[in-house]
Amino acid sequence: MEKKNFLRRTFTTRRGRRLKEHLTAYIFIAPASILIFIFGIFPVFFALYVSLHRWRIVRGDMIGLQNYVTSIGNLAYVVAFFLGLGALAGIYFIVKHILKMKREQGDQPWPAIFPGLTYALMVFAFLNWFYRALPEVLDIAFKLRGLERNEIVFMDFLLEALRSENVLPAWRILLITFLVSVAVSLIILRVWRNRRNIDYQAFFSLGFIALGVSIGLLAFTLKEVSAAYATALETGIDPGIWPQVISITSGVILLVAGWLFWRRAEKQHTDRSFWLHILAALILLVGGWLLIGEIPMILANGDKKVWDGLKVTAFFSLGTVPLQLIISIFLSVLLFQKLVGSNIFRIIYFIPYVTPAIASAAVFQQMFSNRHSAPVNMLLKALGLPAQQWLFEPRGVFTLIADHLGKTIPAWAAGPSLAMSVIILHSIWTFVGYNTVIYLAGLGNIPKELNDAAEVDGASGWQVFRHITFPLLSPTTYFLSLIGVIGTFKAFNTIWIFRSNLALGTTDTLSLVIFIEFFEKTRYGYASAMAFVLFGIILALTLVNNRIQGSRVFYG
Amino acid sequence: MDNKKIKKHSFSVSTRRKVITYIILFVGAFISLLPFIWMISTSLMTLGEALGTAFFPSSLKFENYVIAWQRAEFSQYFVNSLLITLITLSGEITFSVFAAYAFARMEFPGRDLIFGIMLSTIMIPAMVLIIPNFLTVTWLGRIGPIPWINNWPALTIPFMGSIFSIFLLKQFFAQVPNELFDAAQIDGAGHLRFLFQVVLPLSKAPLMVILVLSFIGTWNSLAWPMLVTNTPDWRPISVGLMNFVDEAGQLLNLTMAGAFITIIPILIIYFFTQRQFTDSIARSGLKG
Repeated sequence: MEKKNFLRRTFTTRRGRRLKEHLTAYIFIAPASILIFIFGIFPVFFALYVSLHRWRIVRGDMIGLQNYVTSIGNLAYVVAFFLGLGALAGIYFIVKHILKMKREQGDQPWPAIFPGLTYALMVFAFLNWFYRALPEVLDIAFKLRGLERNEIVFMDFLLEALRSENVLPAWRILLITFLVSVAVSLIILRVWRNRRNIDYQAFFSLGFIALGVSIGLLAFTLKEVSAAYATALETGIDPGIWPQVISITSGVILLVAGWLFWRRAEKQHTDRSFWLHILAALILLVGGWLLIGEIPMILANGDKKVWDGLKVTAFFSLGTVPLQLIISIFLSVLLFQKLVGSNIFRIIYFIPYVTPAIASAAVFQQMFSNRHSAPVNMLLKALGLPAQQWLFEPRGVFTLIADHLGKTIPAWAAGPSLAMSVIILHSIWTFVGYNTVIYLAGLGNIPKELNDAAEVDGASGWQVFRHITFPLLSPTTYFLSLIGVIGTFKAFNTIWIFRSNLALGTTDTLSLVIFIEFFEKTRYGYASAMAFVLFGIILALTLVNNRIQGSRVFYG
Repeated sequence: MDNKKIKKHSFSVSTRRKVITYIILFVGAFISLLPFIWMISTSLMTLGEALGTAFFPSSLKFENYVIAWQRAEFSQYFVNSLLITLITLSGEITFSVFAAYAFARMEFPGRDLIFGIMLSTIMIPAMVLIIPNFLTVTWLGRIGPIPWINNWPALTIPFMGSIFSIFLLKQFFAQVPNELFDAAQIDGAGHLRFLFQVVLPLSKAPLMVILVLSFIGTWNSLAWPMLVTNTPDWRPISVGLMNFVDEAGQLLNLTMAGAFITIIPILIIYFFTQRQFTDSIARSGLKG
């Protein structure tokens, strides 16, 4: 009775109602959040852990950056170094933001430095504890082998693992930093009355975390580089890491500077703009030349499979995305005229997208079979062309065309293999419908008056498309190209079905290379490192795409 | 007279344009459907016809479907896939509805931060996740009361937390007018009743989309089921079809029958829901 009254009192005051609402919300999001955390966020840290080890089914020794060096050569050191510098740049932006807030609001945010520091220390204490506890907790599974499985036994082992001498000190540090952080944070909240108190605390925490990350990464990279030089002294081969770091750094700096110059030149409308453009182009050229000269050389010392996988992925993206965008923008403009039956066409175009890709790949596999009686070979015969091996053909398309015309072309111009071209065709066939539907929605958002006005002014259909429809569709195009490129980097199922040993790996995109390394060769550590390389490429592409295309997109 | 002439002229131009448009649209439709036509036609042929140059069967051999069904043991794989889809979907929809409602219509500290962190996981390529998740799932199976490998938990539980579904539903829930919520509150209804009696009945379209997309996703998943199953007990139809195509590769009529069998359920669902489906895809796609 007493308790019930107490409960009622806590939840009927205004603050109590708010508290109740918050608790309800947390309960609502709990199941989904926990699952996404376990299978979507935690694995990233776990994969990082795996990638730093020699790990074949069971965990081996910690080997630092070695897996990365095996896959992309000395570029691994360069990238680690860059990430450290990137974290330093992060500090700069955070400090800038804090100073801006300070100026605009007239605050003195310095008290928030203390909780910021302690929170950052807490985060690092947590990471420290996490990476110490993880192997011990993983080993429980092996200890349980042959024992009766129940919660009591598991909890015993779990407690034992968490209390082992490796983990316990880290746990104590975590606990101390946690208590200190909460105490300091509460004291500052009490003493320094400011509405943006929590914001400042969060920004200072982020700043200190970035500082810790950059110091940690740079120190780690330096240690790894000096270790590499130490082994180089024994073998007598100079790894040449520092010259590579310097030339790639200058290449990147030049590219960024050239890009900034170009942007500035575009804003000016005087004679100087011309010379600025020239200057920007020159800087871009030099920077690009430095990178193009240096990076392939470094990668040549890495795993050839990574380099080949990247090339195949690039062919896949370049072959698929532009073509499917062109076809679907064309189809959507035609469908948008609201002709009789356009709905039926839309339904039909969308069918390939919903069809299970494994089934449609099996069909394409047979249509593009190397049998002379297969449909596509029959079509070639009807056109007077020789039958092809299709999915078994590792030679490039352009090589094959040139051969047919009786000419020879250099190896670099071979293009995607014929086998890859079939996969590209299948991919276009699958995604044109999806892109068309999204383009149709984009067309629906364009105000009709614009088209009408242009037509009154006597613009032809093509002119309307070129100067009104296409620019207004640029957000859609941007979105679809990003989705398309990321999709080609992620693609797995269909390529796995289409894959044939006779194509000599010319269809293996980076995703496939990673999966084969993991699934068939059971090199977990190495495959994880390669997966992070893929992740890095996707992130870099998204960023560059955002910067370049984002500024050109026209959002009505 | 002149006026009439102009009218006639413009009429013929627009007719010609219409005809050309239709021709192009028909060619597009033909290319979209050609693989299906060829698949169905081949699946009804004798083996000799299938390997020959005929495009249409001389007599319809429907027994190919029965043979393919039995040889590929599709009944087992179908049941597996259906069960996997059902379990995944029930978990996914329940969890996503609650989470999406909280994100769309409730206030709590850290809401945007948590949602942002969850949304950023979309960027992570599956190949980064697949190795640690395999290790996690193996570990969970070793310490827990039931094994995860070769069993339903590994195939379903990791997919129940779907940020895509949460995002789609959140977009929809946020559009429900605030006045409805105020009215419900005055009537004494809390969040739960508002969610079940007002919001959910209004959200049939996105729920349908999640249903179909999850169905397609489960029907299509290959890498993960290949990893976490090594007996047919829980293998889904995708792996079943792949193995069948590998084994019976030369029996073209049978593999095409098998491929068509796996497509049928998806096609049925698509045709029943295509309206809401394309609408929601367009809407969610543009806002993503």
